[in-house]
Amino acid sequence: MSRHKRNQELKEELEAHLRMAAQDRIDRGETPADADAHAKRELGNAGLIAEVTRETWGWAGLHRFAHDVRYGARLLRRNPVFTAVAVFTLALGIGANTAIFSVVYGVLLRPLPYDKPEQIVRLSGVDAKANRISFSDANFTDVRAQARSFQSLAEYHFGVEPVSGGSEPKRVPVAYVSHDFFNVFAVRPIIGRVFAPEEEKPNGPQAALVSYSFWKDYLSGQAELSSLKLIVANQAVPVIGVLPAGFRYPEDTQLWLSSDASTKPTSRTAGGWQVVGRIRDGLTLQQASTELSGVAHRIYGQFSEDNYMHDAVAVPLREALTDKARPALLILLEISGLLLLVACANVMNLLLAQATARESELAVRSALGASRGRLVRQFLAESLLLCFAGGLGGVALAYAGIRLLLSMAPRNLPRINDVAVNLPVLLFALAVSLALAGALGIFTAYRAGSADLQAVIAQGSSRLSGAHKNQRTSQTIMAAQVAVTLVLLVGAGLLGRSFLRVLSVDPGFRTEQVVTLDVSFSGQNSNVQRIALLQQIFGRVHEIPGVVEAGTTSDLPLGTGGYSDGYFALINPRQLSPQTLGLIQQYSNFKGELSKADYQALGDFFTPLFADKAHTGLGNYVAASPGYFRALNIRLKRGRFFTDADTVDAPHVVVVSEALARQTWPDSDPLGQTIEYGNMDGDLRLLTVVGVAGDVRGTSLEKPPTPIIYVNGLQRPQKAGDLTLVIRTAGDPSTTLSAARRVIRELDPSVPVKTNTFTRVFAASLSERRFNLLLVGAFAMTALLLAIAGIYGVLAYSVARRTREFGVRIALGASSSTVLKLVLRQAVSTTLIGILVGGIAAYTLTRVMESMVFGVSTSDPLTYAVVPMLLLVVALLAAYIPAHRATRINPMIALRAE
Amino acid sequence: MAKPERYQNRIELLQGTLDLLILETLRWGPQHGYGITQAIRVHSGDVLDVETGSLYPALHRLEKQKWITSEWSISENKQRVKIYRLTAKGRKQLAAERSRWDRLLEAMSGILAPKGKESEV
Repeated sequence: MSRHKRNQELKEELEAHLRMAAQDRIDRGETPADADAHAKRELGNAGLIAEVTRETWGWAGLHRFAHDVRYGARLLRRNPVFTAVAVFTLALGIGANTAIFSVVYGVLLRPLPYDKPEQIVRLSGVDAKANRISFSDANFTDVRAQARSFQSLAEYHFGVEPVSGGSEPKRVPVAYVSHDFFNVFAVRPIIGRVFAPEEEKPNGPQAALVSYSFWKDYLSGQAELSSLKLIVANQAVPVIGVLPAGFRYPEDTQLWLSSDASTKPTSRTAGGWQVVGRIRDGLTLQQASTELSGVAHRIYGQFSEDNYMHDAVAVPLREALTDKARPALLILLEISGLLLLVACANVMNLLLAQATARESELAVRSALGASRGRLVRQFLAESLLLCFAGGLGGVALAYAGIRLLLSMAPRNLPRINDVAVNLPVLLFALAVSLALAGALGIFTAYRAGSADLQAVIAQGSSRLSGAHKNQRTSQTIMAAQVAVTLVLLVGAGLLGRSFLRVLSVDPGFRTEQVVTLDVSFSGQNSNVQRIALLQQIFGRVHEIPGVVEAGTTSDLPLGTGGYSDGYFALINPRQLSPQTLGLIQQYSNFKGELSKADYQALGDFFTPLFADKAHTGLGNYVAASPGYFRALNIRLKRGRFFTDADTVDAPHVVVVSEALARQTWPDSDPLGQTIEYGNMDGDLRLLTVVGVAGDVRGTSLEKPPTPIIYVNGLQRPQKAGDLTLVIRTAGDPSTTLSAARRVIRELDPSVPVKTNTFTRVFAASLSERRFNLLLVGAFAMTALLLAIAGIYGVLAYSVARRTREFGVRIALGASSSTVLKLVLRQAVSTTLIGILVGGIAAYTLTRVMESMVFGVSTSDPLTYAVVPMLLLVVALLAAYIPAHRATRINPMIALRAE
Repeated sequence: MAKPERYQNRIELLQGTLDLLILETLRWGPQHGYGITQAIRVHSGDVLDVETGSLYPALHRLEKQKWITSEWSISENKQRVKIYRLTAKGRKQLAAERSRWDRLLEAMSGILAPKGKESEV
């Protein structure tokens, strides 16, 4: 039966009832008119009866909801300005949250794209000080042999290697992985095969699997693999398999080689291996961790000498990949939540104003038989419409926002490629919209319901009744809004101050007009060849117009590579016997093999030296050419930099940074001291300190200066396989870059080159801080704008409602300044309450930002002084327009209007 | 102002009681809504007055539960009226509710009777 027909029948049924009742009364002797009236009174509210009856039909709910929605939509269309402002405000709040959530989801929450990803864990060793350390092959082998909780365990290490054999020479991320690595991830090559047993034997033939994108781009997607050969780090390697698209673990690896094909160091202290594993089906992480820890303890008990690994832990791989990014992202999510609160407050005030204006309408509807629940549902339907429109707008904003976010996302944010508006993100937006709709709907219904409807109808105007109560509510909302905005502004202020502090740090070098070229030598194996090529490059680069200075370094400050550190020993040359000296010379010049006895003699000499903690130190090893310091404007503090006289055969010299000099020779002159640092580059010849260089912030502007030992890259080029050519130019950097690239190509076309400017390298090192500051700053500014709009709205509305009151005051002789003060005082007192509450909240909440600030405390007095002042001034400005309007009220018009 | 005393003596119907009354009334034959109110009023000696606002929702609810059915017919006054009829299922429900009501009554009088005697002493 159609709904319409059922309604008709219900109406007819009730009419029949009425007629029969009236007829009975007439039969009892009442006049027809009386009978009719009495019967009607007895029946009661026919509309209400019909409605309640309809509710028993079951599907009435949906129908009624559709009706409410239609009614609500009509209402919203009738107030386009209100609707537009409310929807836009909600869209801002929902959009900000959705965008941030998409990052949080993509980076932190999204399951890894592997089969049963929850089973995959990363294993780390734990040393005596509870630091996480990498595995040594010996410890890994024992763990693998003993731990029963894992289906498969694999060790790997990775780095960037020069690769040629495809379209052009290139520096490619390469991972060396052990047996079972692909089983851990349960990936199979889409073409070809994994390593064969002979490729997993020490000194077996090497083979490579390639990523899908590498295969497509670098190998032109050639399906026949047998003819493909790559030169990886000077070694010819056949390509045996292509892995499925999307598999890039670890980091952004393009090539996987067998680590088992080369011999591994047997020492238990020779760390550097990362370990991943897959937990057996049916076992929990807890069980696997417990067993792993037991195994690690057992191994340590067995080999406690010469072993750092006291314990081992297993962490879900997803967590292990993202634990550095987690705190900042969660803080950003909280901050976007605060912005949503501010937006919500504005919409609440708008709805409140609406509800007051609608009192007559509601009273009439109520009198016509709308039940209280019906009115609540009506409000819910309206706020649902608003919030869904806002949610749609929010998703659109988020869509655009994510592009913006990704373009400025810090380079070290893991899994950033996975960030997108996807189903879970949309569900999040939907959930936020629904929650908002519920909250706003119930809030307005509650406020509207509290008005005395009888009074409203009796008054026939919307001037009185709930208005006063609503005023109080909107003042409270305004104060809350100010409080939340203050928290956001304080957060942004702290980050802004931190950013300025970071920028004002002296990095120890100049970045302007410096271009960088990352190069990897592949064909030049001997020192002589490398030095020759470097000198050719310097010679040609200096001919490029505008070039001021050129140099090379193994590690560029603030670059992505990071430094390598190692222990050195303080040695007086007189400690060396002529025999030892001879061995060192022989060993370091690579002239002839040393006998086993000779090795033993060298070991006997050096081992006790390095064991003596009083005469060793830890430094970061940098191989730099003479021109490097001037190219980067690194200051000379004492002594001299390298010169052309420091050749391979001349006495070997080092320049140390001030930080290193301070920590190593606090009481004596570093110049002339001699050290042994051969474990870094295999050259055992002693190094004499000839200069002290100014300190450089090598890894981050926020970390203390890096203690550096500079060796001369033209004297000890052993480690110069990968280096960065830095050129200071007076001309156009990009012209210089392409000219320098051309020089290298002409000298050796097999050398891969990656170009950049030092300014960009510097800026990239600040990307995380800039990202956080921009986001929090943008959120805080949006909140401030919303708060301004909110304060203005509340006061403008309040003034409009009190037109009559102000009219009377002015008529009784109140001056404009009295009226002005009256309104402003209201704004100031509300704002002050908000500032007080917000200040306390900010003081507590910003403590979680401890890790994000630099050089200021989270209770930074300047921030806490300036931000409230700013808010107060802004609130006064926002209040001034309505206050001024109040002074211009014409008492005659105001009173007559009633 | 007709019979104000009737309103004073009126008893608020307990939840579920109305259903029982309607089913019981329909046991004596099909009836329309107005007829049901009249029957209840007469049989209760003017004590129970079913409000229209409760009656029709109840009728439609009972119909939805298939305890009663409805059809349009012509009344003795030649009016088109909707009459309700008890179903077999409704008869079972009536029996069940009736026994529940009896138990309630028994329990109530068990509690109330001794106190009534005491007050007489």
